[in-house]
Amino acid sequence: MPARRSAVCLLLALALAARAAADLPRVVALSPSITAILLALDAQASLVGVDEVSARVEPRVRALPRVGGLFNPSLEAIVALQPSLVALVPSAQQRDLRERLESLGIGVLALPNISYEDVLNSIAMLGERVGRSAAARARVSAIRAAFREASAQAQGRARVRAVLVLQREPLYVVGRGSFLDAMLDAAGAENLARGFADPYPRASLEWLIAAAPDVILDAADPAAGASAHWGHWPSLPAVAAGRVEALDRAITIPGPYLDRSLAELARRVRGSGSPQ
Amino acid sequence: MKVLTARAAALRLALLGALLLASLALGLAAGPSALAPGNALRELFTRGDSGVAADIALRVRLPRVVLAAAVGAALAVAGALFQALLRNPLADPYVLGVSGGAAVGGIVALSLGSALGWGAAAVTPAAFAGALATTAALYAVAAVRGRVSATHLLLTGVVFNAFASAGIVFVASLAGLTEGTSLFLWLIGSLSAVRADAAPIVGAFLALGLGCALPLLRDLDLLSLGEESAAQLGVDVARVQRVLLLSTSLMVGAAVSVAGLIGFVGLIVPHLLRLRLGPDHRLLVPASALAGAAFLVLCDTAARTVLGGRELPVGAITALAGGPLFLYLLRRQQLHSGAP
Repeated sequence: MPARRSAVCLLLALALAARAAADLPRVVALSPSITAILLALDAQASLVGVDEVSARVEPRVRALPRVGGLFNPSLEAIVALQPSLVALVPSAQQRDLRERLESLGIGVLALPNISYEDVLNSIAMLGERVGRSAAARARVSAIRAAFREASAQAQGRARVRAVLVLQREPLYVVGRGSFLDAMLDAAGAENLARGFADPYPRASLEWLIAAAPDVILDAADPAAGASAHWGHWPSLPAVAAGRVEALDRAITIPGPYLDRSLAELARRVRGSGSPQ
Repeated sequence: MKVLTARAAALRLALLGALLLASLALGLAAGPSALAPGNALRELFTRGDSGVAADIALRVRLPRVVLAAAVGAALAVAGALFQALLRNPLADPYVLGVSGGAAVGGIVALSLGSALGWGAAAVTPAAFAGALATTAALYAVAAVRGRVSATHLLLTGVVFNAFASAGIVFVASLAGLTEGTSLFLWLIGSLSAVRADAAPIVGAFLALGLGCALPLLRDLDLLSLGEESAAQLGVDVARVQRVLLLSTSLMVGAAVSVAGLIGFVGLIVPHLLRLRLGPDHRLLVPASALAGAAFLVLCDTAARTVLGGRELPVGAITALAGGPLFLYLLRRQQLHSGAP
């Protein structure tokens, strides 16, 4: 009798698991930051397809069907996966993708990821849509707490005059309004590119030399080239002081671990990281 | 110079029509998903079915294939008409700066869109408005007492194109990292994820353009002798130029505003056909419509299938496929004619 009861329980558990799997939303993620958020919320089971970049940078989704690049996803490849939700970062280069998906009865969640609040909202919204609201709330709380703590630590200290470089040639930096700008602020840096209204403006080399940053935070590829590149300009205070900090590009992703990225950025701003 | 009988011309048009039908069938049958070609084609005849196969065949592939046909036909017809109007074999649909005007309209909408709260939906109307404004300005500058000389029109177009290119560079240089990428990618032609109602819109402008051009094709043949000679032979040169310039620009504007800049179709398709069929525009223009449509459908089918779910820019395929074929036929023609 106990064996029979166990078998019934097992069958019941399997049936419940199958039912739960059937109830899961089928999500296609069209951005590495969205993929990273879903994985951080332990919602991997909901993912049925990803973009090429996500598959390249995230080993856990490498086996999933790919639906094209960030800027050229294939509508047909997405539809073939029969998703209930396509999560994307709104951008004009996707032309009328969003409208086409909605006309086919596929839900679309467009998540801007420019500002700090945008990123936190992305985490909360995705959590809600994949049934992981509690995990999302916990992640958002952890990030907010880290920002509060970092800001408190930076209070009273002299701000470090800094520029965060995203690309060296042509030169793109972090301007006003982006989540990276908020991270720089919380990390105790004075973002010298805040004068640019664009969140990721193209700047001239002359502007950067005249701005005379005390630290250059270089997140451009390849990281190993940062010191050699900026070494051509010894008049820059950051170069003279050996304060060119090559950052891991992952710091610039508007993903679920802004708290960890902030901790690393703060270390580099203060100069307690490994100088390049 | 090759002159075909009416029967031979009709036979060639029928063959091109068959080529277009075959390319449409291939475009419907092939795609990056695992849908079997036979099932995709069967969906056409079992309309009313729902499910993923019907969605892919009827709501993803069919609008795209029809759009590719409409854009390809519009560009090839525009190329044939511009080459005749300007009496210049290097003319293509973009030579007069109409596409540049559309591109400026499109990228201004793209770059201001986020600031002003416009969606991506504003891009296509803005691009079309740019094309119309350029056409009006071009005609206003190039026309003297209602007539335009081919040389004057071509030079004005070159300057307009340069002006538009400078405008594009100016707007792009002001854009940030993400907008810059968007602008660049918009300028590369693509038929991916274009609105489902785009094909009827381009088709309507194609029908309008063809409707205006077809009655004037004999006059266009005479115009190839030069404006003065054509006028002496009874052609209302100013009217023919005005009607063809406007109708061609409308076709190009509609195609570019929907699909971006897809190169080579308007240059090589009319050229290839002129090499094979001769210079009679009464045959060349409808043949360009059929062949341009088939060519772009085939190129777009390749663009969306060769790399699985990843799409290639269709403009790259048109250049890769059309360029070598064109050079081969040109070389063969030279060898046959003995021309240096």
